[in-house]
Amino acid sequence: MNVEMNSEMLEQDTLSASASDDGAEIHDLGYRKFEGERSGLVGAVRSLSWQTIRSILGLGRKGRHKVFPIIVGVVAALPAVVFLGVAIVLGNFGEGATLTYSELFAFSFTAAVLFAAMVAPEALVRDRRDAMFTMYLSTPLTRVSYLSAKVSAVLIVMMTIVFGPVLLALLGWTFVGSGPDGFFNWMLAFVRLFFGSLIISAVLSSIALACSSLTNRRAFASIAVILAIFGGIISSNVLVGDADFSNVYGLLDPIGTATQTATLVLGESTENLDSPPLLASVDSQVVVLGTLAWFAVGAAVVVFKYRKLEAI
Amino acid sequence: MSVIATSNLTMQFGEQRALDSLTVDVPSGVTGLVGANGAGKTTFMSLLLGLRSPTSGQVLVFGFDPQVRGAELRALIGYGPERNILPADMPAVDFVKHMSELRGMPRSEAKGRASDALWLVGLGEERARALGTMSTGQRQRVKLAQAMASDPSMLLLDEPTDGLDPVQRDEMLSLIRKINREFGIDVLLSSHLLEEVERICDHIVALDSGSLVAQGRLVDLIGDQQGVVVELAEIADYPHAFADVVSQLRDSGLTVSHGDAAPRMEVVGADVGMVADVVRDAIVDANARVVRIETRRRRLEDVFSVGGQ
Repeated sequence: MNVEMNSEMLEQDTLSASASDDGAEIHDLGYRKFEGERSGLVGAVRSLSWQTIRSILGLGRKGRHKVFPIIVGVVAALPAVVFLGVAIVLGNFGEGATLTYSELFAFSFTAAVLFAAMVAPEALVRDRRDAMFTMYLSTPLTRVSYLSAKVSAVLIVMMTIVFGPVLLALLGWTFVGSGPDGFFNWMLAFVRLFFGSLIISAVLSSIALACSSLTNRRAFASIAVILAIFGGIISSNVLVGDADFSNVYGLLDPIGTATQTATLVLGESTENLDSPPLLASVDSQVVVLGTLAWFAVGAAVVVFKYRKLEAI
Repeated sequence: MSVIATSNLTMQFGEQRALDSLTVDVPSGVTGLVGANGAGKTTFMSLLLGLRSPTSGQVLVFGFDPQVRGAELRALIGYGPERNILPADMPAVDFVKHMSELRGMPRSEAKGRASDALWLVGLGEERARALGTMSTGQRQRVKLAQAMASDPSMLLLDEPTDGLDPVQRDEMLSLIRKINREFGIDVLLSSHLLEEVERICDHIVALDSGSLVAQGRLVDLIGDQQGVVVELAEIADYPHAFADVVSQLRDSGLTVSHGDAAPRMEVVGADVGMVADVVRDAIVDANARVVRIETRRRRLEDVFSVGGQ
């Protein structure tokens, strides 16, 4: 857009024409016009996404804001590091120890749920509390691009938590010679684990952001996330395990549903497991639909709340 | 070219009409958007930013419709909100840099510009301080710095002197004036205080309950009418002296206003010399005694009453 400017460009003051004999000059630039190219909407989304990642991880903030991210990081990394350490020291995982790829996700669950409940709400709640939502919408950001930046920030960190330990475990597995055979199979496992992680991360991020959009208090958002996740797990176990309802009610468990979908992505069977998941006997398409439903409901709540949210 | 032009702009919230058929034309310079709380000033700004769709009518900023080119326009507009809540634990320079990047500054440029803007508003030494540790006056300056760090074509400042003491208010108004004069950035300044708008604005748009009360150049609205302020002593021998003076001045065609408490009046006319002569004659005729007499420039509040003044 070519907007006619009414002002003359601020002239740069040269304080000293020559500070020394070699012609060196000291320029006091001060506030000045910007003549370069602006980064536009893409730059705005990138900047907000990066700032959100810094904010939720407590970077550049006081020590107390770093406590939960550090706890989550330790909880996420510790099992995989121990797994890797055992593999390096012993040269294997112990007598008779076998793991499926999908079981590797167990390394991440505790940390992922902790992140969803205790850290992720910071991404949305803080902006509403500090009136930054209005400030953001006064820039090239729109509601859609604002939410895109927030979702991508939460998803990136969640992926780091879910996929990071799994990747470490895969590397350990490979290191002791129990990993996939050949480069192609290794890459296939890597890609499958990546997308499996993405499915789990998307569902948990969706729940975290939906709960965060309902309140301006982080504590309340954390409680809502815990209720949504553990409420789903408990109710599905009670209905299917105790009350003998159809296994389809296992879809009420967001983690179980997402993991089962990830298992499908990994192309693994749960038939030989001692305690197969509730959804093992449910049709694959129904499980995928259940995962999509969890994601869609979360996204719908966020969109609905932010469509109505007053900017000024 | 108009910076802002609206035509029959109407904004309705349920039963409440926030803006009623507003047709304004704002040229370059510093423009004061005045009106009492609830007059529609903030709603007007939100329409300029394209954050709301008008119920009817049209708004153009730099000739573009904010509903169509909103994102591009907002990159050229620095907005300073009324609310004084900012991220408490964020250093001022990080905040200004972040907002600057959001408005399109490349990362390499943003940090330097953030520092420059903070120096300009007098917070150079404080730029690394967390916003939560700053005073109200400093936070108002930070809001101004973030609005202008990205080199906008226009600033929208919503009550920028809110919460400031008189000295801070003077400094803030001088700063806004300087930004317009030295950097050529147009300013739309929202305020409910006529006095501060009168001090720095070239143009006025006055709203009352969503309707346009007045608009135009300040000098055209105030005109060149001037007058005098007269304070008389109360004399027991001439108890009706004050009333006689007022009566005689009004008979001479001058506008006289006074309160009940003190024998003080404000007299306004087309020419201050003529007013002074008539006042002198009236005082002599009524045997009144003068405590104080001084010239008085016509004020915006003489033209219209907004903001409860």
